[in-house]
Amino acid sequence: MKKKKIFVIILLTWSLIPFIWQIYTSFSTPDSLLEPFFSLKHKWTIQNYLQVIQADPPFFRYLLNSFIVGVLSTILTLVFAIPASYSLSKAPKSIATTTKLFLLTSSLFPYVLLFLSLLEIARSLNLGNSLVALSIPYSALSMPLALLLLSTSFSDLPIDIDEAAKIEGLDIWQRLRLVLLPLIKPSIASTAIIIFLFSWNEYPIALTWISKPNLITLPVAVARIAGSSIYSVPYGAYAAATVLGAIPLIIIVLVFQKQIISGLTQGAVKG
Amino acid sequence: MIYLLLITPALTLVLIVFGFPIVRYSWLSLHSYSVLTGLDVIPNTAANWVRLLNDDRFWQDAIQTIRFSTLSVSIELVLAIAIALILHQKIKRRGLVRALSLLPWALPTTIMALGWRWIFNTPYGPLENILNTIGVGTFNFLGDPRYAWLTTVIADVWKTTPFIALLLLAGLQSIPKDLYEAFKLEGGNSNQSFLRITLPLLEPYIILSLLFRIAQAFGVFDLIQVMTGGGPAGTTESLGLYAYLNAMRFLDFGYSATVMLASFILLVFYCLMLWILLSISKRIYELII
Repeated sequence: MKKKKIFVIILLTWSLIPFIWQIYTSFSTPDSLLEPFFSLKHKWTIQNYLQVIQADPPFFRYLLNSFIVGVLSTILTLVFAIPASYSLSKAPKSIATTTKLFLLTSSLFPYVLLFLSLLEIARSLNLGNSLVALSIPYSALSMPLALLLLSTSFSDLPIDIDEAAKIEGLDIWQRLRLVLLPLIKPSIASTAIIIFLFSWNEYPIALTWISKPNLITLPVAVARIAGSSIYSVPYGAYAAATVLGAIPLIIIVLVFQKQIISGLTQGAVKG
Repeated sequence: MIYLLLITPALTLVLIVFGFPIVRYSWLSLHSYSVLTGLDVIPNTAANWVRLLNDDRFWQDAIQTIRFSTLSVSIELVLAIAIALILHQKIKRRGLVRALSLLPWALPTTIMALGWRWIFNTPYGPLENILNTIGVGTFNFLGDPRYAWLTTVIADVWKTTPFIALLLLAGLQSIPKDLYEAFKLEGGNSNQSFLRITLPLLEPYIILSLLFRIAQAFGVFDLIQVMTGGGPAGTTESLGLYAYLNAMRFLDFGYSATVMLASFILLVFYCLMLWILLSISKRIYELII
């Protein structure tokens, strides 16, 4: 099938060409970006990267901040979501369905519209400018999806396993830790990665909760770099920043693509 | 009872984050609360709502948000069905192809919004560069009110199509193969099997991704703020951005809350209209096929 191959090539070109363009830009000198394409005067440079890395605070600081928030929110969400989804899978059918419907509606909600209230909460509880505090709204926002995904995998387990462990005299924590969790490991992994991606990429709340330059997360840092006029030209440094910011995610997607895809599609199939 | 104990913290967190804002906004929208009131909260009955009804900028943004959501989600859906059908077939290195096509979705919106801003840059961006070289002339994509919003649609389509395609792919995989074989035995061709088996069985997935994408597109914020800043002449400004500007730039929290509540009401209304439209077209579809 030739046609199929051509289609796949078009698909990949369309998905990847903006990256390739960013990489090209990031290695070009400002002057050569002002030349038309295929100019013989084109010069390559790593100056753009040096500029981004040597800035104050250095670019890696933002990656580190995003990483910290991502890990914290993932852990926080799972700590709450695992026991909760276990009991959700045990709830009577009518209650479980109503709860799931509520969770589904919440997960569809355009959460940008929540930022003002969340900011008010942050101000009154003094939660601003803290990466630890930022992970609280993140885990609350990812909670509905986490509950839906995990409770489905709990319900998919045969009831006998849980009952047998109960007869053996294990209490609820031992059952969760020793028997059930190992069985739903794949689904916990997918959930964790999706939460991590969400927290890593989240913008409006990070923008309003964090104002200290050395605490801002990657998306906010990039938007700040972009803050100057639309028409300002030397894009080389911008491009270098976007490339550096994209690398960790490209690695995550390539390594965990199976978990990401199964997490996303499970949500759709069972939701 | 231990079950109740286990589920309460998680549900409380969800209720606080999703429920409390609605209550708070409803209350704030009936009060003046801005720098002009010295950040005191003063009841003003319906003044915010009267202002909203007469606010041209709000209505312009509402229309922009609706046309942005409608156009991008429609394009995304059609492309996603096509991509899902391709990815469903046996292709070489399927895992790698899926992972690479998922990349746009996984990256922070602000990063690629910045990338697209450079692609559409006038006069140095690659697109203008190509158009100039082949002699089409200059478009001024981000500066011309006629095109600027379309560039944001392209960026949005680029970013979210793979995500929908994956959801639909899951749907395709849930359709038993026997159905197609039985249909073939009865003499149906592949176009017919698409219309009679694939599309009807894919319907729940299509509806779910439609709902999800429309809700997300209604709240579009990062993309617009970084790519165009709402310009030119406010033509790309979304409701989310307007609400944000009201709170963070004009420091008018009462009105910002009103705008957000109104956006939410508009979204519910839009989904209702969509639902009616979909039920009617489904009827017609069933009559024709």
